Amino acid sequence: MNVAVFVKASLDPNMLRVDSSGKILVEDIPLAISEYDRNAVEEAIRIKEKHGGKVVAFSVLTWGPLQKRVREAEQVLREALAMGADEAYLLVDEALIPGNPYTTAEALAAMVRKVGQFDLYLTGEGSMDTLSFQVAARLGEALGIPAVSYARAIEVADGKARVTRDLEEHLETVEVSLPAVISVTGEINKPRLPTLLQIRRAFAKPLNKLSLADVGYTPPSGVVEIRDLKLLAVSRKNIMVEGSSLEEIASKLVDLLVKEGIVK
Amino acid sequence: MKVLLVAEKPGLLPELAGFLKDLGSKLGGVEAIAFTAAPSLDEAKKFTTYGFAKSYVAVAEQAFPDQLAKAVVEIIDKEGPDLVVGVATKMGNEVVARIAGAKGMPMFTEIVDVEAGDGAVLFHRAVLGGRAISVLKPALPAAATIPARKYEAPQPGEPGEVVEVKLPPSALSLVKVEKKEKGGINIEEAEIVVGVGRGFRKKEDLAMAEELANLLGGAVGCSRPIAADYHWLPEDAWIGISGKKIRPKLYIAIGISGAPQHMSAVMDAKVIVAVNKDKNAPVFQYTDYGVVADLYQFLPVFIQKLKEKLGG
Ligand SMILES: Cc1cc2nc3c(=O)[nH]c(=O)nc-3n(C[C@H](O)[C@H](O)[C@H](O)COP(=O)(O)OP(=O)(O)OC[C@H]3O[C@@H](n4cnc5c(N)ncnc54)[C@H](O)[C@@H]3O)c2cc1C
Ligand SMILES: Nc1ncnc2c1ncn2[C@@H]1O[C@H](COP(=O)(O)O)[C@@H](O)[C@H]1O
Repeated sequence: MNVAVFVKASLDPNMLRVDSSGKILVEDIPLAISEYDRNAVEEAIRIKEKHGGKVVAFSVLTWGPLQKRVREAEQVLREALAMGADEAYLLVDEALIPGNPYTTAEALAAMVRKVGQFDLYLTGEGSMDTLSFQVAARLGEALGIPAVSYARAIEVADGKARVTRDLEEHLETVEVSLPAVISVTGEINKPRLPTLLQIRRAFAKPLNKLSLADVGYTPPSGVVEIRDLKLLAVSRKNIMVEGSSLEEIASKLVDLLVKEGIVK
Repeated sequence: MKVLLVAEKPGLLPELAGFLKDLGSKLGGVEAIAFTAAPSLDEAKKFTTYGFAKSYVAVAEQAFPDQLAKAVVEIIDKEGPDLVVGVATKMGNEVVARIAGAKGMPMFTEIVDVEAGDGAVLFHRAVLGGRAISVLKPALPAAATIPARKYEAPQPGEPGEVVEVKLPPSALSLVKVEKKEKGGINIEEAEIVVGVGRGFRKKEDLAMAEELANLLGGAVGCSRPIAADYHWLPEDAWIGISGKKIRPKLYIAIGISGAPQHMSAVMDAKVIVAVNKDKNAPVFQYTDYGVVADLYQFLPVFIQKLKEKLGG
């Protein structure tokens, strides 16, 4: 059972940087592995542990400046390798920056086709920077195979996957023939934390860099233009309620809520 | 501009028509066609009276995203719309993403606003955990989904032409469906919401939050893991970009770290209070009044002081 897993080096929404007008300074925000892609890697490794085979991680760099970002994206893939992926591929090309789900998914599909065939393709449900919830469905179309979204459980047997989809009103269990693309929710598993030794060993695992020419894909230009990216302003009082005892703090907080007209 | 509305069930057509009206008023007129799937043509016809030039209806008891997308792709090939718009339910996003993938179109998930004029459109969407808004200009044709329940239905008009289409088979087969439990909680209406997070160690401990909420006449809400992962509270209590957005007078976040995906959904609260034992927790960036304390020690004292106040 060979599994391809897709991990995005996402802008970290916990580390936003803005200028005085509220404009997001994209270049100053660090990249981190998209929260639910850890769950996708964990699931891929569990499937490998049960059924054998290998796990290959794929990523397309979607944020610039390229020079600075390549190392960050490699770091994200190293995290997948440390968790237990066997090999990783990173696609870096100016033409894919800034990314959008359309060209990103097409580029990921081109990468996969170049590297080989897999039984299962796993993604996170949505990436933490752009929240587009598209790439799994688009990969299904691009690779010409079924796609199933929002998996909270996956069972693989006899060339099929039984997937429990977590939808708003119900849990829906479906069966699909492999190969297939499946997107996982943050609740499907608890991602392991790699040990120091595993982190060190990850540096010996193959991390291959590719360009668009290597994978034979030319993205259309100008499909999405970012006109503006602005922080939603927060204006709060930011008062820390302090005191020499919890009683004092609690009393102060009650008084503040009275003053706000909330506690009457 | 020609717009194709995609509704995985007919009940979504009225809100899509509401969006269309808004778009039309900005662009100065749009031509609309609709697609929906329903158990019967009659069922669909109840919702196709919003001035759509044509409504395509797939008659099916149940349909998977791949089937719906394939059916819509055929309609697109015939009709050549400039925009394809669905509703940002999980199903809707998936169907529209498949369509966009098949047709090589950009797609904008859950747009919060649209600017239009001179035949061009700009989409606004929330990104970075809901903390920022990006304004995007697509090359047309393009696809988008609108937030569920955001647009009001316009007055119904004349029933337009209805055309039945066949659904191709799906690659998925259904094994079983389990309905989720509903808690009957309405945190969207509550004036005071006590939010609980992973700082609580077990379900029974939420009793403290319940007591606090009762004292204040409010409701208990929670972060995603409490509802989706641990199931300590029903999903109606889940606050965040993938849960509910709330705008109470007071929000008290207890044992919640303050992830942007959670906090962006409470930003309209008038007052925000946080209790967290970690003084560096991001939640304090978003609060009016912050308390650095162990919730297990602080809550009993706070509840006691509140009782004294309210009783006196
Ligand atoms: C695409 C996407 C969508 C998401 N959607 C949502 C969403 O809709 N809603 C949502 O909530 N999250 C959402 N998340 C997840 C989000 O990123 C966080 O993982 C989640 O909000 C964390 O929940 P938490 O604050 O309860 O837990 P944690 O982050 O684990 O925080 C627990 C906090 O409790 C504190 N604590 C521990 N013990 C005590 C104690 N004894 N006393 C006081 N404080 C204590 C800790 O200091 C810590 O700050 C989403 C993520 C992604 C990527
Ligand atoms: N640039 C990328 N590189 C690798 N995987 C990606 C990339 N963008 C998205 N994905 C995968 O697709 C999932 C959904 O992303 P999105 O559709 O952008 O919300 C993510 O959780 C990843 O698993």
